[in-house]
Amino acid sequence: MPHPFVVHPSSEGDLTVLGLEGYLDAHTAPEFERAVQEQVDAGRVRLIVDGAELKYISSAGLGVFMSFIEEVRERGGDIKICGLAPKVRQVFDILGFHAIYDMLDTRDAAVRRFAEAPTRQV
Amino acid sequence: MDTPLEQSSLEALLESANLLHSSLDVDELLKHLLRSVMGRLAVGRGLVAVEHGGTLRLAHVRGTRALVVGDVFEESRAREAGFGFFVPIGDGPRPLGMLALATPARHQLSEEERGFLNALSGIAASGLANARAHGQLADLNRRLDLRVQELNTLLDVSRAFAQASGPDEVAQLLGLTLAGQLTVGRHAVLAIRGSHPPVTYQKGMRLPWPSPWLGALESIAEATLVERLPETDLRASLEQARAVAILPLRASSATFGLVALGARSGARPFRESDLAFGAGLVAQAVVAFENAWHQREILAKKQLERELALAAAIQQGLFPAELPRLDYCDVAAVNRPAQQVGGDYYDALTVDRSRSASRCLFCVADVSGKGLAASLLMSNIQATLRALLGREASLAELARCTNELLYSSTPGNKYVTAILLDVDPSTGECRYVNGGHTEGLVVRASGEVERLPATGLALGLFPGVDYEELTLRLAPGDIVALYSDGVTEAQKATEEEFGVERLTAVLRETAEACASEVVQRVLDALDDFVGVTPQYDDITLLVLKRLRPGSAGQPR
Repeated sequence: MPHPFVVHPSSEGDLTVLGLEGYLDAHTAPEFERAVQEQVDAGRVRLIVDGAELKYISSAGLGVFMSFIEEVRERGGDIKICGLAPKVRQVFDILGFHAIYDMLDTRDAAVRRFAEAPTRQV
Repeated sequence: MDTPLEQSSLEALLESANLLHSSLDVDELLKHLLRSVMGRLAVGRGLVAVEHGGTLRLAHVRGTRALVVGDVFEESRAREAGFGFFVPIGDGPRPLGMLALATPARHQLSEEERGFLNALSGIAASGLANARAHGQLADLNRRLDLRVQELNTLLDVSRAFAQASGPDEVAQLLGLTLAGQLTVGRHAVLAIRGSHPPVTYQKGMRLPWPSPWLGALESIAEATLVERLPETDLRASLEQARAVAILPLRASSATFGLVALGARSGARPFRESDLAFGAGLVAQAVVAFENAWHQREILAKKQLERELALAAAIQQGLFPAELPRLDYCDVAAVNRPAQQVGGDYYDALTVDRSRSASRCLFCVADVSGKGLAASLLMSNIQATLRALLGREASLAELARCTNELLYSSTPGNKYVTAILLDVDPSTGECRYVNGGHTEGLVVRASGEVERLPATGLALGLFPGVDYEELTLRLAPGDIVALYSDGVTEAQKATEEEFGVERLTAVLRETAEACASEVVQRVLDALDDFVGVTPQYDDITLLVLKRLRPGSAGQPR
């Protein structure tokens, strides 16, 4: 049975928030990729991915973050990640994502980080 | 004076031991050790060195700037810097560390002070050993976590591969998974197979695809770094796209594509274990690609089969649903295609519908080729015959016009052989034209056999061809058999053909039977003859029998 996965887009001022819910695995990664592609195509490159409702993430899901990060930063934006549950956060950490992305506890913290550092330099 | 000293020493040891058990932070422990010793012995200069990769390096230095943290510990230099008292940390030939102090003011340590120092050094040794073991464990855990993550990824992606809707989705899953697992931003997955559309999934790369350097991929290892490639167009292309690692997509037969990966984020290098993981994932993807393409081919084949079934249904509609009922004559016919869609055709057209005992045109034809093309040609000749019938004065003229129409409406290599027989059932007067078709057979009631050979070329082959029209008369009891070469050229396993003689013999033996029974006897004889050998060509047979007066089928 396929795991449910939903992307909830919203905005925080000039920031775009993509709330993720459910299982972001190889099956659902293409859907997330489409959602990010839509934002980037529309010129919205200041993105917060809120993973508070994310139950699981696989490498294919992480690949979506990697697929856009260079372009987004080249265009003066960033992808900041917030709200991850410890189990999900662990996967990001194992693969070293904390060295590449700003990872915040809350959505508010992510908004504040955008004010301090619009683009993270790696 | 000894007693308070002893007590403070014990307190310091207890404190150190507690710290050792409560914290695995070796740095804190060493700092505490240094503080305790310097305070207890009242010296203003101390250092701790820790073994690292075979040498002792300075971890903490107090009271002097002559020695720098991180440098290799050398006793001579330490002595120059005013250190005179050295206590190895840990037993054995290779100490885990070294504690050094300036020589105490009293120059002489008491037994009790030595005991204290040794005890403290022992605690430090345990601390260092623990921390080292813990560090290794943490490192081991990190590698295990990564390995588990890799296995999860392989499992996750193999499930997704199995359900991928096509090669493009396989490419997408492969690209995303490698990008996520190896923290790669730019990546490309390119594949091509036969007549299938090329697969291109590129993120931040623009590699030309299909590429002239596809062949150069053959000699590349299963996963390698672009910098290791020989100087070729392939390497130039990859470098231009800022690709760092390359993994060819290789099936058993040939290399059909590649995965190109850009630099890893955070200036991390591709380790051999990363490349090995990539190669493992790619091996799974190769199978998924092949399955996806295979599935597409099966779908295409099914589609073709559906079309053929449709063509067969259309073709069956071209054959007369039932043959006309004629006075004084009994007619039966059969068509047994070798494939789903055959190339034979028969028809019976009533020439003049105004009279009940009207003349009738019989036609048996063999169109070139088989399948859909033959089917189309067949409907073409049927339409032509029906359109012309009744307008042309003679069969010869009908054949000539049909030839011209077919010639102008079909490609040069398409043609039709046909025998046309016009019968007046009441008199038995017949006219026929044979355009390059197998000879018709007339078996007289007497047993005598006559043949109806070609009177012109096959229809549709050349323009301006004339056809000769011949006449014959059927007496009661006479049989005419029009058939395709699939009847006489039917072969058994030894490649021996059924032949005209056997056909003639069957027709003679069935002189008293009705037309449909004659047809059945011929089919039975054919089946007996060929045995289990599969039918190679279409079989068509039309039998016309002129009835004797008083037999069934006479006008009522």
